[in-house]
Amino acid sequence: MNQRLREMRERVREREHASLRQKTVPDVMTPSAAQDLSWMQRTALLTRMQCGAEIPVIRAGEQLVFMRTVPSVSAYDTPEVWESRFEGGRPHELGPISNICPDWGLVLSQGLLGRKQVAEATRVRLAADPEAVEFLDCAISTIDAVLELAARYSAEARRFGRLDLAGILDRVPANPPRTFREALQSLLLLRAVVWMSGHYHVGIGRLDQYLWPYLQADLAAGTLDADGAEELLAEFFICLNKDSDLYPGIQQGDNGQSLMLGGVKRDGSDAANELTRMVLRAARDVSMIDPKINLRISMKTPLDLLELASELTRQGLGFPQYSNDEVVIPGLMAHGYALEDARDYTVAACWEYSIPGKAMDIVNIGAVSLPAATDKAIRDGLAAGDSFEGILERTRADIFAQVDAVMARSGNIILPPAPYYSVLMNDCLERGRDLSKGATYNNLGIHGACSANAADALAAVKFFVFDERSISATELLKALEADFDVYDDIRRQLKDDAPKVGNNDDGTDALLARIFEDFADACEKHSDQAGGRIIRPGTGSAMYYVWLARGAPSMKEPIVEATADGRRKGEFFSSSLAPSPGAKVRGPISILQTYGKLNYNRICNGGPITLELSDTVFRDSESIHKVGMLIRAFAQTGCQQLQLNTLNVETLKDARAHPEKHRNLIVRVWGWSGYFCELSPEYQDHIIGRHMLG
Amino acid sequence: MSVGCVFDIREFTVHDGPGMRTTIFLKGCPLRCNWCHNPEGLSPFPQTLRTAVGERLVGEMFTDEELARIINRQASILRLGEGGVTFSGGEPLAQADFLAALIPKLNQVHVILDTSGYATEADFRKVAALCNLVHLDLKIMEPKDHLRFTCVDNAPILRNLAILAELGVPTIIRVPLVPGVTDTRENLEAIALAASKVLAAGTGVLVRVDLLPYNKAAGGKYAACGMNFIPLYDESIECRTDTSAFERLGVPVRVC
Repeated sequence: MNQRLREMRERVREREHASLRQKTVPDVMTPSAAQDLSWMQRTALLTRMQCGAEIPVIRAGEQLVFMRTVPSVSAYDTPEVWESRFEGGRPHELGPISNICPDWGLVLSQGLLGRKQVAEATRVRLAADPEAVEFLDCAISTIDAVLELAARYSAEARRFGRLDLAGILDRVPANPPRTFREALQSLLLLRAVVWMSGHYHVGIGRLDQYLWPYLQADLAAGTLDADGAEELLAEFFICLNKDSDLYPGIQQGDNGQSLMLGGVKRDGSDAANELTRMVLRAARDVSMIDPKINLRISMKTPLDLLELASELTRQGLGFPQYSNDEVVIPGLMAHGYALEDARDYTVAACWEYSIPGKAMDIVNIGAVSLPAATDKAIRDGLAAGDSFEGILERTRADIFAQVDAVMARSGNIILPPAPYYSVLMNDCLERGRDLSKGATYNNLGIHGACSANAADALAAVKFFVFDERSISATELLKALEADFDVYDDIRRQLKDDAPKVGNNDDGTDALLARIFEDFADACEKHSDQAGGRIIRPGTGSAMYYVWLARGAPSMKEPIVEATADGRRKGEFFSSSLAPSPGAKVRGPISILQTYGKLNYNRICNGGPITLELSDTVFRDSESIHKVGMLIRAFAQTGCQQLQLNTLNVETLKDARAHPEKHRNLIVRVWGWSGYFCELSPEYQDHIIGRHMLG
Repeated sequence: MSVGCVFDIREFTVHDGPGMRTTIFLKGCPLRCNWCHNPEGLSPFPQTLRTAVGERLVGEMFTDEELARIINRQASILRLGEGGVTFSGGEPLAQADFLAALIPKLNQVHVILDTSGYATEADFRKVAALCNLVHLDLKIMEPKDHLRFTCVDNAPILRNLAILAELGVPTIIRVPLVPGVTDTRENLEAIALAASKVLAAGTGVLVRVDLLPYNKAAGGKYAACGMNFIPLYDESIECRTDTSAFERLGVPVRVC
């Protein structure tokens, strides 16, 4: 990275540009009420007014421009009106559509004017359908607003004598880009307007696929070389960090700016190209929290690509996150995705799989608390004198009941209209139907959270109460009831001497697999193949590793008390797929072997195996090669998704004590990376307490 | 059937040889190196570690079949990962019969013996011949100093080094650099000379010499073992990582 970019990164880190933010936001509510606008019209007006209120910012030397100056997204409804819109149903999270990925390749290749032509043609065809006409008029008005914003940026560039920039902004996003730089500029602006329209967790998708034709042409024509391309990419990545403070999320950094690399094309051929490698290098050089990098691999992936990815892992940013094509693609097909679409998968924002432009899946409608299921089954079952099989049946029943409850809460999610987002999708304009009415895929995802603790609790009960018979049911119940107070011997046995998930122990792993089979059965019960609504079970824990242990204001699930795996009340649970905190494990090979036993054809929503490497691993001169082979072992064992993090516990502890010294320290939190010092203490503690390998 | 005592099994041990490796730490060691950083590996028997976070039993008995099964279950991963298994300790040759029974039961797994070299000739020969690579520590060449800092004579170690040359087993000589003890010019020159003799014994035997800088956390686990860590050297001094003696004799050398 050159001096210009280093300085630019420093300015963004120092948030110097925040001083350019305006003090006020446009008032969308007053005109919305005065003109008695429909919901659709209000969402379009929001996009128009947010665009209209933006003040162009062009700073010396910038090759790519745009930052948000409007400090937030306006409300178009009073709280009462907003609430009334969800009568008979409920909003999902904050309301606006989130956690999906547009078809960036389509939008870039057509340009906004091309998209507008599509909308106009559909409008002629569906002139008799007032709903379609309203939607298309609204969509067209948002296109015009983005074009007007680009024109103002162009004028500003001209005013500064930046004719290069002005020419680019005259061209894109209205038209298809002619160059790699135009493509990046177009993407930057088009994406920002999605956020400005109130959406969030906006996926970047398969960047190395849809941008490659532009770069390839530049390289072939000799108008850009590899260094120049990487410089532009690095600048693009730095730009993605400018507005991260305006994004909603549970913790700072949880913004879903994730992109996907590699894998196979829609026709099944190898998709990795020179841009794949450039992105890995640029992300390594920039080393900021955005964008989060994902890499699709298989057993065929060349080791040198895995090694390049390992160099990024060494930076300790917590990405790339890896997905195994050989497991993910069949899993998606088993859940109703067509082969070519399944091959085109990306992650929506964190780890959930989504199809760019075609999926209006709501990938996280809720979570099943697996530790609550096993805990309740263990307590009730032991009290009732059940056999171990009886406890397993109770677990299954509880998981079914939890899925029923999630589905009852989520049965009628109402999505606000999204005319601008519709422009960016595969066939909303083509069909004259707003994205909120559905896309090709309209499935729902539920996660089974904190699975390792749940399986460990069952394993401990089986081992001590039923097999060894060294702890009686009564004793164990008393110990759990007392949160192990005065029962520390029992707690230590449960914690240290019971078999645990993550050691390639067939008995324990079978309990883990059974919990997920129960979960998959429960989801399948609610799946409506014919109606096109399939429930996708996943393995993610997200913030539940903290929430289920300590509670949170918005949490619907109960706090789980002491559990039979020797965990006291308040102690954290495992993240997604990882051994329970404090469980003794031999290392990553056994962990991968354990998780390779799960049937991912049935649990396709995503949720990664999480391995924490000590940064001392990278002191070995062959470490990059070895970590590359570890990533290949992840594919070899048939696992689905992997997060490989690099940590130094001493550094983290020092950062807790002296945050001012570690402002740029980045860690993986769950499906995203954030600045360690910006996290709440409980998340900091969880990260410090994770298993250290190597 | 043979039984061995193991104090740890760790996977992806990147510092214990080429590729993806799993290291088996065998419990029990005849040496008492003053700088030993694995004091829980010294006693040949299971023992209880007492730490601030509680007690933990260290040392698990395995039959050769049991341990072979654990390793063989991951053999295909270790093979594809260009690695294998490393037997370390403690001193693995203190359980030579166990290793001699175990290693032939492994399913095409690359085996490294990570040894002090202190063993009877018979024990050394029978295990070394089964290994793909031997990591042999050369600590101190001067016999009296060796005795003082490790509590054993170094003659068997030097004899076993010569046996490696005779057997033609690929060997990496490892030198723990302890400030003022093993990192002196005289000692490194003497080690370089010994290494050059192995080098002369034939191609492919001496792979290289690894110099391992002093581990400042060496004393970390003594209290938990109910022992005192009393270094006879000044830990605060940076160890010398001078490779010139090796380079002069054409001995391949690396500082790890």
